[in-house]
Amino acid sequence: MKKEIIVRFGILFVLCVFVAPSVRGGVPTEKIKETTDKILAVITRPELKGPAKTVERRKLVRQYIDERFDWEEMSRRSLGRHWIKRTEQEKTTFVALFGKLLERTYLDKVEGYSGEKVDYMDETQDGDYGNVKVKILTMREQEVLVEYRLKKKNSDWLVYDISIEGVSLINNYRVQFNSIIMRSSYNDLVKRLEEKVSQE
Amino acid sequence: MKKFDMELTVGLFIIAGIVCLGYLSIKLGRMEIVGSRGYNVYALFSNSGGLKAGASIMIAGVEVGRVKDITLQDYEARIIMNLSRDIKIQEDAIAAIKTKGLIGEKYIEITPGGSDKIIPAGGRIRDTQPAIDMEQLISNYVFGKL
Repeated sequence: MKKEIIVRFGILFVLCVFVAPSVRGGVPTEKIKETTDKILAVITRPELKGPAKTVERRKLVRQYIDERFDWEEMSRRSLGRHWIKRTEQEKTTFVALFGKLLERTYLDKVEGYSGEKVDYMDETQDGDYGNVKVKILTMREQEVLVEYRLKKKNSDWLVYDISIEGVSLINNYRVQFNSIIMRSSYNDLVKRLEEKVSQE
Repeated sequence: MKKFDMELTVGLFIIAGIVCLGYLSIKLGRMEIVGSRGYNVYALFSNSGGLKAGASIMIAGVEVGRVKDITLQDYEARIIMNLSRDIKIQEDAIAAIKTKGLIGEKYIEITPGGSDKIIPAGGRIRDTQPAIDMEQLISNYVFGKL
């Protein structure tokens, strides 16, 4: 009888140790959480608040995002089949431009952070690919579903797409870039991106 | 003799009518008699938005295949697509469920990627975009305004 209890506890212990972490989330979730926490720490840190510190704050946020986002993969995916036709020089320029575009478009929104809660819901892994589902709870009790798509690269997990409420960021840009390139040219796309990035 | 001819003609007409009817129902019902040609790939969507088997799969608005089967797998929609053999789908292509017009029928639009890896028969389109729930969007907008 006693033995049985010990065995049962043993099984329970093994389950807790080995199964629980994989249920709660694996490496991709950890990585996303790590980056999110770092960025939120920068934004909410009192000594970095205020307009005077904007440049410094943005630099830090950009640095943490750079660690987690694979800009080249994102650029490649958003250009789609036009990527192959580009020269190495054009690719490098485009990657930098694309990074700046996202920074301009989304950094303001990140800075508008006002205590939203982030729940890590679910994670799936399939070989070198991972999906992390996150629920953001706004102060008005609205839920926003965000899905990070990651790819393993040199034993690190890097984000290559974000889908907000089911709308994929890469697909959005892929369709837009494709239609601009088809209507005019790649050079026109670069010109437009440069204009957009330099706008204040 | 004359009566026999008449009956034969009527019979032939009826047979021709039945053949036409059969052809029409196969064409309209999008059935395939000699099995499906082309190859299959699958994709998982968090919401299929009521997509039906037989719906079109398009690239740049051109039909390249049809939805073969939709099943539930781990509370997600697993959609098997049958594509023409001459269509190559890159590994980083994105499959999105879209609606023709505002309230039209659902179809799948594939935006081709830039990868040099091609998805083999039986492979998976990894990146998907589920059907957009208009009601949900409107309610988000309405409640967001409060």
